[in-house]
Amino acid sequence: MRKSLYLGVALIALAASAAGAGELKFAPGSDDRFDWASYDALAKMDLKGKRLTVLGPWLGPDRDLFESVIDYFRAATGADVEYSGSDSFEQQIVIDAEAGSPPDIAIFPQPGLAADLAKKGHLKPLADGTGQWIRDNYAAGDSWAAYGSYAGPDGQHHQYAFPFKADVKSLVWYVPENFADAGYEIPKTMEELKALTEQIVKDGGTPWCIGIGSGGATGWPATDWVEDLMLRLNTPQDYDDWVSNKLKFDDPKVVAAIEDFGWFAKTDSFVAGGTGAVASTDFRDSPKGLFTSPPQCYMHKMASFIPSFFPEGTVIGQDADFFYFPAYADKDLGQPVLGAGTVFAKLSDNPVGDAFIAFLESPIAHEVWMAQTGFVTPYKGVNTDLYGDPTLKKMGDILLGATTFRFDGSDLMPGAIGAGAFWTGMVDYVGGKSAADVAGAIQATWNTLK
Amino acid sequence: MEQLSYAAGTIVTGVFGCVAWFWGSNLILDWIWPSRGAHAGTNILRANMVRPWLFIGPAILFLAVYLVYPVFDSIWRSLHDAGGRAWVGLDNYRWLAGDAKFRESILNNLLWLLVVPAAATFFGLLAAQVTDRIRWGNIAKSFIFMPMAISFVGAGVIWKFVYDYRGEGQEQIGLLNAIWTAFGHPPETWLTIPFGNNFFLMAVLIWIQTGFAMVILSAALRGIPEETIEAAILDGANPWQLFFRIKVPQIWGTIAVVWTTITITVLKIFDIVFVMTNGQWGTQVLANLMYDWMFRGAPDYGRGSAIALVIMALVTPIMVWNIRNARREMMG
Amino acid sequence: MSQIAGTRARLVWAVNLAALLLVLLWTVPTFGLLVSSVRDRDQIAASGWWKAAFPSTASAFVRAGGADTAVQEGDLWVISGTVLEKGQRLDAWGVTSRAPEAYRPGETAALKDGQSLTVAADGSYRLTSPTAFAGGRGMRIFVTTTVPPRVTTENYARVIGAEGLGQAFLNTLTVTIPATVIPILIAAFAAYALAWMEFPGRALLIAVVVGLLVVPLQLALIPLLKLHNDIGIGKGYMGIWLAHTGFGLPLAIYLLRNYMVGLPREIIESARVDGATEFQIFRRIILPLSFPALASFAIFQFLWVWNDLLVATVFLGNRHDQLVMTGVLRELMGSRGGDWEILAASAFVSIAVPLLVFFAMQKYLVRGLLAGSVKGG
Repeated sequence: MRKSLYLGVALIALAASAAGAGELKFAPGSDDRFDWASYDALAKMDLKGKRLTVLGPWLGPDRDLFESVIDYFRAATGADVEYSGSDSFEQQIVIDAEAGSPPDIAIFPQPGLAADLAKKGHLKPLADGTGQWIRDNYAAGDSWAAYGSYAGPDGQHHQYAFPFKADVKSLVWYVPENFADAGYEIPKTMEELKALTEQIVKDGGTPWCIGIGSGGATGWPATDWVEDLMLRLNTPQDYDDWVSNKLKFDDPKVVAAIEDFGWFAKTDSFVAGGTGAVASTDFRDSPKGLFTSPPQCYMHKMASFIPSFFPEGTVIGQDADFFYFPAYADKDLGQPVLGAGTVFAKLSDNPVGDAFIAFLESPIAHEVWMAQTGFVTPYKGVNTDLYGDPTLKKMGDILLGATTFRFDGSDLMPGAIGAGAFWTGMVDYVGGKSAADVAGAIQATWNTLK
Repeated sequence: MEQLSYAAGTIVTGVFGCVAWFWGSNLILDWIWPSRGAHAGTNILRANMVRPWLFIGPAILFLAVYLVYPVFDSIWRSLHDAGGRAWVGLDNYRWLAGDAKFRESILNNLLWLLVVPAAATFFGLLAAQVTDRIRWGNIAKSFIFMPMAISFVGAGVIWKFVYDYRGEGQEQIGLLNAIWTAFGHPPETWLTIPFGNNFFLMAVLIWIQTGFAMVILSAALRGIPEETIEAAILDGANPWQLFFRIKVPQIWGTIAVVWTTITITVLKIFDIVFVMTNGQWGTQVLANLMYDWMFRGAPDYGRGSAIALVIMALVTPIMVWNIRNARREMMG
Repeated sequence: MSQIAGTRARLVWAVNLAALLLVLLWTVPTFGLLVSSVRDRDQIAASGWWKAAFPSTASAFVRAGGADTAVQEGDLWVISGTVLEKGQRLDAWGVTSRAPEAYRPGETAALKDGQSLTVAADGSYRLTSPTAFAGGRGMRIFVTTTVPPRVTTENYARVIGAEGLGQAFLNTLTVTIPATVIPILIAAFAAYALAWMEFPGRALLIAVVVGLLVVPLQLALIPLLKLHNDIGIGKGYMGIWLAHTGFGLPLAIYLLRNYMVGLPREIIESARVDGATEFQIFRRIILPLSFPALASFAIFQFLWVWNDLLVATVFLGNRHDQLVMTGVLRELMGSRGGDWEILAASAFVSIAVPLLVFFAMQKYLVRGLLAGSVKGG
């Protein structure tokens, strides 16, 4: 039985390479940790010569990684997939959709924007059963399905988007050897983290590197802080209400979370370069302070993608590692995890688009990227041994094992808030305004939305 | 290569097409109403009524499609909701009136309007005056004009090296902070200082526009008749008097043209703010606010269009002034 | 008399000084970028560009060899190697991040378990231990070094070697040339009509042109792309040429008309009296006389189209091989925002061609043309 399977795989591999897909990252059938059966299943779709255009935000190394995933779709189905990445994806997709020349599939880094386009009628609902598939196959499936389910122009909810590629946000990065040199322990609770912060200052060091600069999106890293702290100060229900604005932005609970962020970011001695540096430091520049000599800071809170911006040659797990951004011991809120993800949505009725979404439901699409770098998935059907390094696996386990899992709230809020007023509000807050003023201003903007 | 031959082909076709249009249409006109023969007088009159439109026709077509049509489209959009479906009347304008960011943007734009044209014209005049009187004047002019040739992406990076901030105690790599700390002050995050940061952004535009002002004003200064200046010198005017009492009034018209052109640039100012602060820390301006609402986060074309129309309304005084000028010219 | 000569000389000095000051102020920022772009990548972010000509000190750590590189010498296990790269001078070193400058070159540090480390002034280190080393990775040796100034073209090699910059250069050229030539032709005819022909509505048209100068480009993007899609042009070179032509026309007409109005009336009138047609007047008199104005507008339009990012991202495709230079550079900046050396070199690449064109053509700009928009007030 097994032998014949191998034979089949080998034949298909042969056929695939004959089809000009000799450059597949992992030769089909070569490593039996991969789910090659799911790859073989794809070959049933014959899409030879059919075209599919995909627009997304991934550039540089990320584009190469994603292309290596698409290669398997190309090889199996013969479809001609054309991916273009844009640095200004958010603007590009709006212009193209409004002007009537959208790509077949768009990859949204922020579901808020996808929801907005769905409401305006630019997105096409995914095939029936896709929502159910996500609920069944993703860890915390209901949350993930909801992440891609929006109201259409008729007000009816449909599954418009398919989440693929997750980020874990509740991580604090540090250099283990620096901790060892100073004799610091990894904090298990928020109380310990705060005590450690004060201890480092007492020892003459600077605990944190915080940079919220990001060009046009300046401020977003601070929203992650606030969201993580919301989950550590309030119940998940409160968090959900906050995201849907049932709990007003200027509610004392939210203001308290902002002020808790201020405890870290607005105390001059806690941040490398002082509070003034927070808003003017680019988030991509910020983690470099961990690696200088002597270290400019000891800790950096950022999502799972940040190692791409570590100095060249940094070995994750040895030169740098992360620990879970801990919860308060005296609040009984479990171990909440904040995450995010990119979602794929269809903007045309091109049937190849449906085939591509079906491809994303196959384990192989996840495994090819997992086995390389910078990819975590909540898909329960993949072989987690395939993660390219132990750190990714650790993140994947955090994702699969979270007691409370919530999405990046700013991604779910209306774009004008989550990709606008919330960002600029955080910049104002770091710049010196009070938490109450900032929260009030954000709520005021929310009130003007229809 | 194929691509370049395509481009070359287009240039040839385009140029040939344009010439053929202008030449051919004129020929046809002269053939229909020949300026010789029985009805020469009426024919010339008729042809002269049509001819301007032949000359100006293609331009009008382009302007109508590429600028006028979008303006009317925007007017229509500004009266509709975010998706352009439902009629909302003046709601978008009402929202504008109450929006804090809009108020901030308008005030900033006015500030830019006050400072930048004046400063660029002043420096341009100064540069024109001094570079006209030295031997290496043309080289100096090239250097001062050079920023005009730099893209905003490039300018953004260049000024990043000027305004960069490092925490106290670290070595400053931004020029301004290096100078500032050399005098014993703590380093500043220049682009986040409330209100003051506007001026640091304006410095970039002044840096770019001064060259433009200088080139035009220099030409005007050279155009002043020698006799006027000689007469003033004979009357014993000192260099300052010569400059402010004789030369400046002589080129007043040109100064106005320069001022107007820079004013228009300032009204549309977008790139510098977009690249350097994206309107945060109280530096928002109208064009960037409009861009925000049109393309970012939750695109709301209605609100974006309403802001665009406000920008256009702000230029009305300049238009009126120009129409008057044009009238006066035609009379004179 | 001598007093006047003295004042004169002082005045000449003052003027030269003022010019020098202005030139310095206006070139220093760009010069800083140029200097930064040829510096060593580690030095750009470590010290200001004005220190480029001096040696700089740098602090970093070097990893000693791992346990597998140990050699047994008698009862000692020894790991040796060097902490310096070519040209560096060792100032101080240390063994923990808490005290990275604890030791002078040549001193020996006693470590735990009887191990000891010596780093000599030439950078060679010797780590000894009475027992076998354990663990896979070597310890960190913190070094403070003096680095001589270094000029390098590596940054440019990285940027130019980046995928697709050559293609992008071609694309930009393809966009720029037609988008410069076509609007000039159309504007020249229109400007002549507005300057020298009598017809009803002329003043109004002039006013409209001036008014259109202020239309913010951003508002035209979506309606026009929609139009292009509807009439079948779609995204591509044709679309971007047309768009740039439309957007460039108001300024072209405005500048050219201002110039043409300033041409001597007598020449035109006498040609008319001689029976020349308007087309002949335009071709034989106006065009040659307006050459400086045409050339200078050409330079403006060229610079504007070459430097444009917004119009290109909307009207051209977004695939990597369709990008223009500014697009590629922006992409570089987006994916490598923290790398100053990439920023500096790529920014300089992006401004190189405009600067070249500008320096080559400036005599038209400075001398002739804009002289016209002057018409003496």
